[in-house]
Amino acid sequence: MRSRVHRHMASVLPELFDDEPAAMACLSVAGPLDAEEKEPVLPPEFNWRDYTTMLLHVAAEIEHSLMVQYLFAAYSMGGPQVPEGLRDKVRGWQEVILGIAKEEMGHLVTVQNLLTSLGAPINLDREDYPWGSDFYPFPFTLRRLTRESLAAYVVAESPAKWTDDIAERVKKDAEVAVGQEVNRVGELYGRIDKILSNREHIPDELFHAETLPYQASWDEWGRGYTRGERGQEAGNVPDVKSPELLVFGVFSRDSARKALHEVGEQGEAVDVDEQAETSHFKRFLGIYLELEKLPRAEQDKVSRPIAENPVTAHRLNESVMVQLGAKTVTTSPITDPFTALWGHLFNLRYRMLLTDISHAFRLSGPLDNGGVLTGRGALVHRAFAEMYNLRALAGRLVELPLDKDHPDGPRAGPPFEMPYSLELPDRDHDRWLLQRDLVQASRLLTDQLLETNPDCARDPYVVALRESDRRALEQIEHILSRKGCTG
Amino acid sequence: MTRILELRVLPPLAIGRLGAAAEPMDNYTAEPDPDEPLAPRVLVPAPTLRVDPDSGEIVDDKAPEQLRFTDGHGKVKPVAPFLEVWALTDDDRKLHPLTVDLLRANKLEPKDVRWCVRVGNHKIERRTYNLDDRIDADTGWFSDHGEHGLNGECANFLTGKTLPLGHARYIKPTTKYPGIRLRFTPAAGNVYGSGGTVGDHDPNVVDALYDATKGTWRGHVDEPGDPRLTIPGQIYAGDDEQRGWVSRGYLDDECDGLVHVELTVDGRKLKAYGRIGAGPPAYAPDSIPVRTIADELDQALYGPKARREDTAEDAHKVAEEVLRRALESVRLMNTAVMNGNTVDGRVDAASTMVRQDSADTGRTFEPIMAPSLVDTAAVFALHQNVLAALRSGTAPWFADVLRDHDEVGDLSAKGRRKMPALMRGADGRSLALTRRQVDLVRKAARQEIFRQENLRHDRGADESGGPA
Repeated sequence: MRSRVHRHMASVLPELFDDEPAAMACLSVAGPLDAEEKEPVLPPEFNWRDYTTMLLHVAAEIEHSLMVQYLFAAYSMGGPQVPEGLRDKVRGWQEVILGIAKEEMGHLVTVQNLLTSLGAPINLDREDYPWGSDFYPFPFTLRRLTRESLAAYVVAESPAKWTDDIAERVKKDAEVAVGQEVNRVGELYGRIDKILSNREHIPDELFHAETLPYQASWDEWGRGYTRGERGQEAGNVPDVKSPELLVFGVFSRDSARKALHEVGEQGEAVDVDEQAETSHFKRFLGIYLELEKLPRAEQDKVSRPIAENPVTAHRLNESVMVQLGAKTVTTSPITDPFTALWGHLFNLRYRMLLTDISHAFRLSGPLDNGGVLTGRGALVHRAFAEMYNLRALAGRLVELPLDKDHPDGPRAGPPFEMPYSLELPDRDHDRWLLQRDLVQASRLLTDQLLETNPDCARDPYVVALRESDRRALEQIEHILSRKGCTG
Repeated sequence: MTRILELRVLPPLAIGRLGAAAEPMDNYTAEPDPDEPLAPRVLVPAPTLRVDPDSGEIVDDKAPEQLRFTDGHGKVKPVAPFLEVWALTDDDRKLHPLTVDLLRANKLEPKDVRWCVRVGNHKIERRTYNLDDRIDADTGWFSDHGEHGLNGECANFLTGKTLPLGHARYIKPTTKYPGIRLRFTPAAGNVYGSGGTVGDHDPNVVDALYDATKGTWRGHVDEPGDPRLTIPGQIYAGDDEQRGWVSRGYLDDECDGLVHVELTVDGRKLKAYGRIGAGPPAYAPDSIPVRTIADELDQALYGPKARREDTAEDAHKVAEEVLRRALESVRLMNTAVMNGNTVDGRVDAASTMVRQDSADTGRTFEPIMAPSLVDTAAVFALHQNVLAALRSGTAPWFADVLRDHDEVGDLSAKGRRKMPALMRGADGRSLALTRRQVDLVRKAARQEIFRQENLRHDRGADESGGPA
């Protein structure tokens, strides 16, 4: 994916191609990105609709990647080493970062809505590590939460003109973590918005309102989180506001631009208000400034000792350099066989989550007050169920050893490895066959867990997961026996 | 000497369940199945005190081999609770069961214990505000071991008619079962009607007790806007007519009241009482509602907040129990209808949460959740998955979406979607867990991330489902 997207990037980030061959020079009329009066230039091989689709695909990958990295950082936090006096703070920070990750999920599905509205295929893909891209703020790397990794997130979400003393400090820290200058993610939305605002580029008739029933809605994906304004919840962390999950349906040019604007406001817009409490930037920076005040030894105790980029056994001994001048980023193979099985289970449930979301986009929601029920609601629930499973499995993996020879060494952490494919079959019946394949694969993995360690038969989660899979299989068989679900 | 200072009746509140079978229901417990933790609880027979119908003595306390909720002839076995007398004694100032030996140590015999049971059914009076519609039963004081009928009397009953509200019996102590206890056996669970008009025949009622020429119960209509009425209304059987919801004049044989016990020790008359009540049988005995009287008592005892003594493990178990009960409730609901979805094109198809929200507020009739999300099978599966994830020891992340006690009237979309969803309390507003339940779930959510289970996989985990 990277190489295929990369060759079109000069249209958006021409300054990165200053030293490229002359053939790219013609694209430099796009000008520096902070010059608002400059108009986007259509790169070769595209028309405007297709180009917008490509940019939205890139946006989707970025949202997906950020979500996963933020989740990894949040999951890493905690552990018995956290000093008693710091626990309330750490719990609050974890809640903030989980909240930001949830908001990234809202961005991700909103981008899918934009794609659907334009009649383009959705994109839930992302590169595995180690990966760097011109567009991407920093090479995709799963890191436990440290001051430096946090600094990278602050910079990635920062406003265009952020140049005070704090900025200098944070950027320096970010470079330590990433090994290169961290890009901002806000540029891309500005570029897409510029294109969408132009009727010449994207005529009105290209926005398909009739796709709304297929798009994700806040009612389905919001789960009680605030819409529109962040509210103070009497939650488990009193001072942390609940996430503001934005999921916008797109049915017109205005609704498309509003969606982009709101998503940008939440953290990635070029001209985001630095003081806005809602921005990801502000929230990350708040944690950074607090963390910075702690003695170094305490800073290191905020998260568990988790390896960087844990990968499952089929990639043992791999060590790959990230390109584009980034510092060496290596994967950390999980060599403990028992931990590796949990890692595989994590990857599989991650695939099931992506499959559920993708499958839900293929089915329309009810068109009226609810007289007609579809399989879509069931798939949305299944997607959330997998999020809960991922959280449970991550909870295990942050406690289990990475290396079989060093049981007291680094912990593994959730690998978040991408499946070989996210393509769905055309026929709904076949999509449910895929669902069955995945549940059966989960069953095989839990069988292996039991073979490797018979004590798992008493593990309440394994017992419950196997039962849950058995029941899921029954439901899927029921759907299959009726020769297809619901269209 | 062990001198009796005070008496207590324990439990202080016992709830019987109606049933027409001669033999009362056996004892049992409802426990999660360790092999299928997402399945309904398993009913396990438990030791049961069996009373000889002639002598009134307990003859054994075996657990039955098999549980049966009916007698095999379509009659439901009533749940007939025992109330025990306990005594505070001067030697250690602690409560001990009152037994024949303890009585004798105080120069008393079982016959010196006196009982009196008074129960009532005031449902009709609650609607008509007419004292002549009160139904009360009083056994008077007794010390024998025979059955004492609880025959409800009412000024507006037909001549010679009483409402059978069950019976009470002072269990005869024996050497093997020397405790002093009373058994309350509730009534059959019948529906009675209002007579007084020639030619009446109603297949729902077993007998006519109420004199419709004296009282106004048959044909009663609640006065609109009466602030004393409960919300939601229409809690009596009736018909929708032009003048309102018109009572059919039915009455049932539920009741509640007091069991008094009296004993004179050294010339001092000691008294105590316990409460009893009777309600319909449990038709889902393997399910427990998300909020029960036990939760209320827990809160009354320990306060509305999690205490220092409540460990993270205790809190996690409460979180898991809440989830399990939610799962059990979903199993019994048509969530799509409760949500206010259309049914075959009809809106407002049944008495739902949505209707209750709309009834007294003029709020627009509108589904609570997205209509696509409330298919019962899908919601049930989701609850199972949440329960499964919790059993990993994961912190309960749903603490933030629990409804607080002061949010039951929040009719915003967000407020209505909080958990527990689609369920109402007695006042027609959304149900909230007790403050203590909520605080314990939040405590679990706060503390779990600092836990470490080293080498969990080498030793498995505990059976309870909570973190070891």
